[in-house]
Amino acid sequence: MTTKPMTSPPPVDLPYRIVWRSRSVRQGSHRSTQSGAGGLFRDLATLMEYRDPRRIDMRQTLRDPFGTLHVRRFEEKSEIGVTMLLDVSGSMAFHGASRKMEIAAELATVLATSVRRAGDTFALYAADSEVREELCVAPTRSRAGEAEMVAALRAYVPAHRGAAGLIEAAQRIGRKRNVVFVVSDFLLPEQQLEELFDALTGHDVVPIRISDSRENAELPSWGLMELTDLETGRRRLVAMRPSLKAEWQRRIEARRSFFRSLASRYGREPFEITDSIRWDLLGAHLATGA
Amino acid sequence: MDLALQTPWVLALLPLALLPLLLSAQRAQSYPSIEGIEADPLSVALDWMLRIVGSIAIVALILGIGGLHRLGRTIEKSGEGAHIVLLIDRSSSMDNTFAGRAPEGGEESKSAAARRLLKDFIVHRDHDLVGVAAFSTSPMHVLPMTEHKDAVLAAVDAMDRPGLAFTNVGRGLALALDMQEADPSPAARVIVLVSDGAAVIDRKVQEKLRAAFARRPINLYWLFLRTAGTPGISTVPAPGEEDTPQAMPERHLDKFFKSLGIDYRAFEAENPEAIALAIAEIGKLERSPITYLERIPHEDLKSRAFAVAAAALLVLLAAKLAEVRLVPSSEDA
Repeated sequence: MTTKPMTSPPPVDLPYRIVWRSRSVRQGSHRSTQSGAGGLFRDLATLMEYRDPRRIDMRQTLRDPFGTLHVRRFEEKSEIGVTMLLDVSGSMAFHGASRKMEIAAELATVLATSVRRAGDTFALYAADSEVREELCVAPTRSRAGEAEMVAALRAYVPAHRGAAGLIEAAQRIGRKRNVVFVVSDFLLPEQQLEELFDALTGHDVVPIRISDSRENAELPSWGLMELTDLETGRRRLVAMRPSLKAEWQRRIEARRSFFRSLASRYGREPFEITDSIRWDLLGAHLATGA
Repeated sequence: MDLALQTPWVLALLPLALLPLLLSAQRAQSYPSIEGIEADPLSVALDWMLRIVGSIAIVALILGIGGLHRLGRTIEKSGEGAHIVLLIDRSSSMDNTFAGRAPEGGEESKSAAARRLLKDFIVHRDHDLVGVAAFSTSPMHVLPMTEHKDAVLAAVDAMDRPGLAFTNVGRGLALALDMQEADPSPAARVIVLVSDGAAVIDRKVQEKLRAAFARRPINLYWLFLRTAGTPGISTVPAPGEEDTPQAMPERHLDKFFKSLGIDYRAFEAENPEAIALAIAEIGKLERSPITYLERIPHEDLKSRAFAVAAAALLVLLAAKLAEVRLVPSSEDA
């Protein structure tokens, strides 16, 4: 294995944030709709509304001409569910400047650790034309099985075609609002892409697009290439020349911009990984929460 | 095209030629998705060209290994010419010069001049079928009708054997007619009678000849090599002289030929130049359409098959060298 140019070492924690409020009753580190004892002050309520005499706000009670007892309410921090939805269809097998699956595995490692440390539940669904059960991890807060998950991801060679399983996996996440990291190269047919994002409405979708400089920017300018489409298995001889290269890059760019506009419509701005993960950028991207 | 193979069973390998159509010789490289990128026409054309060139290479190699060759054969062609029988007088007087004496020094005998000029004539007539007959006391069947120029030239050459004394035109003509009779093709027929004198034709023989000439049209050319001072074809007897075939055979033979009702011309030649002119005249007259058989020799096409294969393989090699890798192999894990 060659050493990949790493712009920054993988961090212990990915500072992912949400701009919405978790409805989970379980304590965690994210803002929630739950009221409780600790955390941020939220509002005042009468003692009759919120029967916690320990939090009687003396100042407000005294200022009330009717002598109603007021209680301070605080916002409880709750956990959230974090799901990684990983595309393991054929195109993810591409090995250019780096292995796409390697990047995905790395991402899964860091994400699982961060999520566990933040006290959230982590789930992983991998799918191509169907859900790949052997790679899936059910929602868990335990670190057990993390190493196996990563090893399995690293060893996995995507061979199946299509990404219809992603839509099925999206439905498995459940009704509770999750942060869903959709990790894919997003080389799906436009209609399938739309269906996928449709199935993910209700979740906080963080699209992460893995691309490779060899498939786009660093295409050779001259020469013959016999390319096998990893998705469809179709072969095509390409007599590459500068004009054709420009045409290819135009097409790839068009496909990317379609994906970006679709992703922005359904969730967060996509984060793009080319060749290697820029952890600092990813952290900054996730910290904004939007 | 009569193509054949020395070892035909190699054709069993011919299905291999389908391989390049099904499989590509180029090294396949993975690419995430070419969907949504239309195939460009040049690449598609190149792809098919390489596949077809691959097939051609295999077919050419198989044919080369199998020993491809073209069978020798004869084909029917049409050209201008005629079926000619040369009827040559072998009487001893032919060995004399035009002056009527034995050739000395640089002098050329009548037969030598006739031979030389006839050979020249034969060489320049591409599509003729030529037979050779000679006559003196009795007729000699020298060469049947043939297209082999070398044989004809040799037969004409053989005429320089010293001849016999008599000139028996009647039987010679009968032989020439027989030779023409044996040939069933519809080509124009010609008898060229080369002689330096004439003789009386028996009345019975005359009748037979008349009947034979009447059966089918034959052009008759009489090349009369006249020795200086002897009576010619058109010599009219002086008053008081006998006008009989015995006294003036040339004149009477001419009259006989004229009475046959065929295309007949007599050329009277008193020197080699006149013979050449007469022969050129015959050549000009005998230009009717003719169908003839042309022999095409056995031809080995093996080297050509290998050349085609080499060219095809060079194209494939060029394609192979033009190949680029999406991911340089040094970066492979």
